[in-house]
Amino acid sequence: MHIYINGTGCISPQETALGGPLLATPREYEQVRLATVDPDYKQWIDVKQIRRMSRVVKMGVGAASLSLEAAGITAPDAIITGTAYGCLDDTGVFLTKMVNQQEEMLTPTAFIQSTHNTVAGQIALLLGCNGYNNTFVHRGFSFENALLDAIMILKEGSAKNILAGGVDEITNHSFQLLSRFGLYKKTPVKTMELLNSPSRGTIAGEGAAFFTLGITKQPGAVAELSGVSTLYKPLWEGEVIGHIMKFLEDNNCTPADIDLIVTGRNGDIDQDEIYEEVAEALFPDHAEASFKHLCGEYPTAASFGVWMANAVIAQQEVPEAAVFFGAAPEKIKKVLVYNHHQGTHHSLVLLTAC
Amino acid sequence: MADLKAQIIEQLNLQEVAPDSIGNDQPLFTKEGLGLDSIDALELIVLLQQHYNIRIANPDEGPKIFHSVRTMATYITENQTIKA
Repeated sequence: MHIYINGTGCISPQETALGGPLLATPREYEQVRLATVDPDYKQWIDVKQIRRMSRVVKMGVGAASLSLEAAGITAPDAIITGTAYGCLDDTGVFLTKMVNQQEEMLTPTAFIQSTHNTVAGQIALLLGCNGYNNTFVHRGFSFENALLDAIMILKEGSAKNILAGGVDEITNHSFQLLSRFGLYKKTPVKTMELLNSPSRGTIAGEGAAFFTLGITKQPGAVAELSGVSTLYKPLWEGEVIGHIMKFLEDNNCTPADIDLIVTGRNGDIDQDEIYEEVAEALFPDHAEASFKHLCGEYPTAASFGVWMANAVIAQQEVPEAAVFFGAAPEKIKKVLVYNHHQGTHHSLVLLTAC
Repeated sequence: MADLKAQIIEQLNLQEVAPDSIGNDQPLFTKEGLGLDSIDALELIVLLQQHYNIRIANPDEGPKIFHSVRTMATYITENQTIKA
């Protein structure tokens, strides 16, 4: 069975919501925390409803709307999201009120909007979609597991069109906490120089990317979602390499069939080492594109990578801002997205031009 | 009543509503009025508790109390004990 990516939508620190050529005018930052470039959400959400939505909900609804518009679908059969942090901002608001007001006089809005599945719920409410609605909260596998669930449902035949995506936000509080864990650079780095920075830590990011997946190819589709696989806590780089080989075999191809690899390099010298090992072992002469210098690091950042891979297939060109190594062949047919989050959550997504 | 209107706007995050644009007798919960919903009703109950230390003992009174800004103000004046 073929699963087509009939439409995509992305809201990120780049101007991805505007449409047009991929990364035509990339935004360069010199900071350790990237925020999304927000479109006018009122084009999708009624003013009365928008007042209760935090940024992450608006991001999710916006990216989902873009994806459905691109696919020409108004009512998907299912909505599946992946998010590690959920509605962090409203969770913070609610918990702060709980403490300050000694668990009394708590307002309902922050509570209602503080759950992880609020984004999927709000999309369903706006669309009037009463179908399957699920949210995966699996840290660095949240987005990938949303895709896997969508694939299984489509293969079962219980849905024809599924809206699936990943979304995460960074708040002042979470940025402060994660900084204490040493996740981010100590001093600001120019984002276009991030991937060659010789230090530990990366830059924080956020965003939402949604995909309208279907078993019937719509006019806007350029790629199939050929495969998704995850690998948790590999013991050494050989296990990752073996996993990639097996994944390619399962999808009836070899490294030679891959035209472009899209990696989740994030500029942390420790975390990027595995990408070097994999490239050297399996893809020594392949063109490589990267994306985390454009969107920052967050648990569902792979969704931005998959969105970018789909756009590269659409344009048959890798934008200069995304090139890490080499030059892609004239025809870009198969793109492998390899990402890992904090060295523990490794994932593979294979897209094939259709 | 101007203060109460400002508090309602803040509590309900009515981003595009100015206090002056809410009529004293304008219905709060009808489409012709401000168009508030059941979640807003809960927020208004919390507003009365937080700002005026008023707990609504009888929920059946809700529609009458929250009919308009004027009915809310009247209820507050009649029941207020301590102003926060």
